[in-house]
Amino acid sequence: MDFTEVETRVKVIVLYQIDADINNAARPHKMIYQGREIVFTELGLYHPTKRGQRMVHVFDMSDDESDYRLEFDAERLSWTLVAITSAN
Amino acid sequence: MDIGRNHECELVEALSASAPDPNFGATLSDGESVREDTRDDGLAERRRNYGLGRTPHSNLILNQELPLIMHIDLNSCFATVEQQSRPSLRGKPIGVTNRIRENCCVIAASIEAKQLGVKVGMSRKEAEQLVPNFIMLETDPPKYHWAYQRLMRIMKSYSPNVKMKSIDEGLIDFHGTPHQDLVKVGYEIKQRLHKDLGCWMRCNIGIGTNRFLAKLASGLHKPDGLDLINADNLQEVYKGLKLTDLPGIAKRLSLRLMQNHINTPLEFLMADDQILRKQVFRSTIMGLGWYQRLRGFEVDDFKTKQGQVGRQFVLDKRTNDDDEILARLQYLCQTSAMKLRHSGLDARGMLVWLVFAKAPTFGNGRPEGFWQKRKMYDTAVFTDQDVFARARELFLQRPRQTVTAIGMTCYGLTPTTRSQITLLPENVRADDLMLALDDANTRYGNFTVTYADALIGKNLIKQKIPFGSTRYFELLISGT
Repeated sequence: MDFTEVETRVKVIVLYQIDADINNAARPHKMIYQGREIVFTELGLYHPTKRGQRMVHVFDMSDDESDYRLEFDAERLSWTLVAITSAN
Repeated sequence: MDIGRNHECELVEALSASAPDPNFGATLSDGESVREDTRDDGLAERRRNYGLGRTPHSNLILNQELPLIMHIDLNSCFATVEQQSRPSLRGKPIGVTNRIRENCCVIAASIEAKQLGVKVGMSRKEAEQLVPNFIMLETDPPKYHWAYQRLMRIMKSYSPNVKMKSIDEGLIDFHGTPHQDLVKVGYEIKQRLHKDLGCWMRCNIGIGTNRFLAKLASGLHKPDGLDLINADNLQEVYKGLKLTDLPGIAKRLSLRLMQNHINTPLEFLMADDQILRKQVFRSTIMGLGWYQRLRGFEVDDFKTKQGQVGRQFVLDKRTNDDDEILARLQYLCQTSAMKLRHSGLDARGMLVWLVFAKAPTFGNGRPEGFWQKRKMYDTAVFTDQDVFARARELFLQRPRQTVTAIGMTCYGLTPTTRSQITLLPENVRADDLMLALDDANTRYGNFTVTYADALIGKNLIKQKIPFGSTRYFELLISGT
């Protein structure tokens, strides 16, 4: 298993499904990382967490090849790619 | 625990206080003759209902009520949540530890790792020798907290009587709720867990007439099982089990039972209460508790009282240097003091303990290589500074040996009296400052403002996941 810490801002396109459960309503659809477009196929786990009073929404996504940890900072309205895990 | 003991004491008092005046018309197993019931205080009826004082194997009385306690246990919780969040880990032998180091140990293993022989508590080295493709990950508390919250939300939608036993298991008491088929409810909970958390999440569910049987049932078919134990199948279930399969019976207790010719759960069930009280457990509370528990009567529904707060840490390097150890001890004190304040408690007692690299010779009966010092002070404290000052005072009395592990515990806990108006306001300035710092840290994240000395410890010691109690969950997750 390769685990790479990235910690970089990325461009993300989000899908919002009006009829989904509130915790699954919004999820990243694809992102641009290092000029490459990565389309997500599965939401592994969504969970919110707090950094002090700041709310951060964590999305563990997969594109069938690797797993990506994406964080959305609800105060700064920014997306950060935190880490990539690849199974060997 | 105290409250629990009191609760059990009352029960025992009610049921067995009549030892010199046993008001039931039966013959005790030791042949002692007893007189007929002449008092109408309900005691005899209750004793009969519990089957007390009857000879072995005669008229076994089991709790006949509908099983209304459901025990839910997330399978290999931390590892499964990791596999849920990272699909590439699914189906692989993984383990979770607090901080990955050479000598760290597995605190949770995936089902695949367990099937290959990896056990909780096993060192990373052992696990990797056993399973060459074993993957070790660091814990991610907010994830587990989320899983815990989702599980609790599901459970609370069925009954207000929900008790989380730990981060990954809890029980629902359906007494007083509209009658429903609990097996159906169990399958529904499994489906909701899949929907709310993800397809990889699995749980064991057990249903019984008391907490003990519900927990036992939840462990019968791991992983992802659902079982019900009631008076009809209880003996059948016991037949297929070993003593150590029973929750609460570990190796030592099973040996003690075997010494008294109780070799199987069924023999344990059939054992006379007098034998359990006088011979096996040599304690009325314990003996009677097991006698009733095995029969499906509830004896474990009591509240526990918080008796102590503390932390421990296996040092990242063996050292005899006061400054290095104190920096780590200060961090332990700071997190313990946070817990005290979070629980609204003050502490009078302080205990500091150390484990040495080489066993010192004390000759006073203490375990070799272990040193501890405790003191009960006149005044109670709750600030980081005060807790550390007391721990430091005790620590500096240590023998000069190389230390491998440290720990501290605050005891003698009392509800805080800080809300009372004082005649000496200058005395509470430090307390007020501490509360102001807590506010700042709540807003910007724990340890945003902290002691410079404690930074070393903070960078080395990771906030651990509470296994037993979920008491401090909100505190520990905030800003970690």
